[in-house]
Amino acid sequence: MNKTCWLILLFGLVGWGSAAVAQDVVLVANKGVQISEIKNSDLRAIFMGEKTRFADGSHAVPVTLKGGAVLEVFLTKHLGESPEEFRAQWRKAVFTGQGSMPRAFDSESSLLEYVASTPGALGYVSRVPATDNVKTIAVVR
Amino acid sequence: MPRRMLLLLLVCICASSLYAQDLAGIEVHGFVTQGFLFSSNNNYLTMQSSSGCAQWTDGAASISDSLTDKLRVGIQLHMYQLGQLGGSSVRVDWASGDYRFNDYFGVRAGKVKTVLGLFNDSQDVDAVFLWILLPQGAYPVDNKSVFLSHLGGEVYGYVPLGSRAGKLGYSGYAGQVNLDLTDGYVKQLGEEGLVFTTAPGGKSYGGDVRWEAPLTGLTLGSSALVEALDGTTSAGGIHVPPFFMSAQYAEFKKGRFDFAGEYRRVPASATLTFGPESFPDPVDQREWYVMGSYRLLKKYQLGSYYSHYVNKALDTSLPANYSKDWVVSGRHDFNAYAYAKIEGHFLHGTGLGYYTANNPNGLKPNSNMLAAKIGFSF
Repeated sequence: MNKTCWLILLFGLVGWGSAAVAQDVVLVANKGVQISEIKNSDLRAIFMGEKTRFADGSHAVPVTLKGGAVLEVFLTKHLGESPEEFRAQWRKAVFTGQGSMPRAFDSESSLLEYVASTPGALGYVSRVPATDNVKTIAVVR
Repeated sequence: MPRRMLLLLLVCICASSLYAQDLAGIEVHGFVTQGFLFSSNNNYLTMQSSSGCAQWTDGAASISDSLTDKLRVGIQLHMYQLGQLGGSSVRVDWASGDYRFNDYFGVRAGKVKTVLGLFNDSQDVDAVFLWILLPQGAYPVDNKSVFLSHLGGEVYGYVPLGSRAGKLGYSGYAGQVNLDLTDGYVKQLGEEGLVFTTAPGGKSYGGDVRWEAPLTGLTLGSSALVEALDGTTSAGGIHVPPFFMSAQYAEFKKGRFDFAGEYRRVPASATLTFGPESFPDPVDQREWYVMGSYRLLKKYQLGSYYSHYVNKALDTSLPANYSKDWVVSGRHDFNAYAYAKIEGHFLHGTGLGYYTANNPNGLKPNSNMLAAKIGFSF
């Protein structure tokens, strides 16, 4: 392989890596959730346990992934937290009796399944889901 | 139940799954930590730390359930052994019902952790901190039961102040405080001849307001508490009329950096009674700390703090009436559930954490210490 090929491969990998980091998540909710968009500050407040209701007053049930790049993108881009800080905040709430940790899932498919069957559930996945059992929610900055 | 059996039970709970168990909405969580302390001079926190001591174990298990959208109930059991403090008994750490009317207003009742300063309610939750020992002026690990929780109630909530003014979190509470009979303060009173069989206690009420500023990551807050303590023994007793303590604090998080600081003042006029005679035991504690930490890598965190304590009611030139502690800490997270910490202390003064019983030859004014801890949490 000549030098040019190596360079193309290198830039391609760097570009792919950057794109993977930069990509956003898709917010999904139970179909019974009445809102179609949510302010990012409200999204943060719901996932940090400060708010338990959507803007229309209905109950919100945040759900999350247990780990991985999609979790990191969601936490960094929308909550401004690292996975370690997010975990610490919730441990603090749990062990002081001030809150219950959001339900966490190993895979996007099990998260989608739960969101589809749980009124008020709000989660995130890496791409627009193929199923129409859930609805997508737009985030407003 | 023997302490080792309880520990074994907690470890089994932890080992049974890496994740919190969820049985039809019921959440079970727990943590276990094991510490080690070595000091160059003096024995610290009732441990034989000058020889190296691992008599430092903490464990808790909690169970909670959301009965409705607005109502949650739960309980947490806690045991700890810190040198001669704590012991085999399992205590109810908190047990409460929590009804959240809306995002602005909620009520908790039962045994509730007391919100005071940055870390009072969470000081036992080792997994959330970089530090092995929090600043001991504000959060003395051997004397925490004085402010840790109360039997009573709390109102709490969040009030948005608009996109340009941030939001306000608040809590207000009232109830009864009872000291832990195995805690350091009761032990110190025992060393002076007042051996309590019933825990001293009294009324407590207070509140906390914290402002999350529009500048992302900045939190400013203030807490106030009024508390009284009374207790009697066959030899005498202690009477502390209601005293007012206050705390002001700030925290700023930006990227991998985290900075925090707090100032508190605790003025109290205790009276100790031995038979027919009474002796004043005045206290005017001024405590402050500043701390900073940096997440070096995803799993590594480093930090340092300085903690300052002085009892202004007494001669502040004597080492027994002040404590100044420089601390450096490091933490490594093996995964989401297990971690290890190491910490160095450069301690000047003997105003905090020392007991006559295990320092029979007196105290040297300065001591360096090395602390290490491993912890598991799920």
